[in-house]
Amino acid sequence: MKKLYSVVAATGLALALSGCGGDAVSTPVMEKEKLDEKTICNIKTNGMAAVLASAEKYNAMAKKNGLEFKRLGMTNSQYVSGSKEAMKSGAKKVVLLNKKGKATKKSVSVEYAVQRACKFAVSALTQAQTGKNTWRAAVPGDGFTY
Amino acid sequence: MLLNIVKSTALVALASCILNAGEFNAQAEKDRIALADYTVAKFKDAEKNRDNFFPYSTDAELKKNIKKGVTFEELAMGNYAFSIQGQFSYNEIKEMPPYEELIEAGEEMYNGNKAIKACFPDTTIAGDYPFFDQTKNEVVTLTSAINECLVNAGQKKWKEKKGKMPILQSYFSYQTMEAEKKVNIKIPSAKAAEAYERGKEYYYTQRGYLKLSCATCHVQGAGKRVRNESLSQLTGQTTHFPVYRLKWGKDKVANGLGTLERRMAGCIKDQGQVPPKTSSSQMKELLYFMAYMSNGMNVDGPDVRK
Repeated sequence: MKKLYSVVAATGLALALSGCGGDAVSTPVMEKEKLDEKTICNIKTNGMAAVLASAEKYNAMAKKNGLEFKRLGMTNSQYVSGSKEAMKSGAKKVVLLNKKGKATKKSVSVEYAVQRACKFAVSALTQAQTGKNTWRAAVPGDGFTY
Repeated sequence: MLLNIVKSTALVALASCILNAGEFNAQAEKDRIALADYTVAKFKDAEKNRDNFFPYSTDAELKKNIKKGVTFEELAMGNYAFSIQGQFSYNEIKEMPPYEELIEAGEEMYNGNKAIKACFPDTTIAGDYPFFDQTKNEVVTLTSAINECLVNAGQKKWKEKKGKMPILQSYFSYQTMEAEKKVNIKIPSAKAAEAYERGKEYYYTQRGYLKLSCATCHVQGAGKRVRNESLSQLTGQTTHFPVYRLKWGKDKVANGLGTLERRMAGCIKDQGQVPPKTSSSQMKELLYFMAYMSNGMNVDGPDVRK
């Protein structure tokens, strides 16, 4: 009986330690709080400065996890820094940059840029969280059937 | 009692490792076969199976552009395996491919660099990369192996997307194709299987502000039309790299060739996200997964794309 106990204990311990047959996949470190893009990025209720602060906070997290958004050559960090500069200088517009980081002829209002920066930052994180549970639905032979 | 447990633990751990050693690629093999079956089924008869695979395509589009009965082997050609119109222009370009002189330049580069020659005595290796280095526990791509070789010899690293790197790789790829070798990616350990799984998760996860995954376009979307282009399929996607893109080479022929890392970075940008660095583990693991999906197919590079 003692031998049986020791074999059972040893098997459990060995399987836990060996990692040979495991299916473990590491997950990126991410804040577990529930983020609501519409609430966090609402300029009317929170004010522009607070929304920009949220954009900066969540974009830093997205960047750290390799999730930062980029639109037409302009990264979300550039939206954040462009909005900050515009608010500091009192400019009404944020000039859009090309993929080389140079100014284009196009611009958007500061409010628009702040809101976009915030939405991009928050949805990068929420999308990744959702994706953890949904990505298998697209794998043939797994969650995807045809 | 304690000694018995320690002894038994060691034995069971060893036995568990040995028993699983041949099965580290079991999941990957299951994925590869399921993907190949799906892709072959999709292109068996696009018109007949339109409700299932091409609900938004017009009759004319399916009839004139999607070939019937595409085989697994043909998928190594990328979207030219099924795109009738694409294949027509592809065949014309292939009569005088713009990368031919670059393969010769790659051969000169190889013969003129003692370090590279010493690191890669066999030039028919394009189908064996990326591989999982069991001592470092990380994926090694052909790009990272070349740069490591240069650094170890006291030389400067090359750029990872264009320039010398894809030119040398085009020589390796051509030699591999001439030797009629196939893509041969191995998953030798549990750590390697984990790297494969992370690459797979990256490929199938929606990302960027457009909320697209790589699979949206290249698994479920393969064969569908975006503007005037047919989207390529994941099976066979890595067999023909480095590629010469007409878009890349419009100003300078030498810039036309690009590594797989260059193409993937561009694709991820198109999803609306900042791509991972070319030498990052995220990028390497993504390429590892993609290359495994082409296992058993002929190496067919370098090649030309629009």
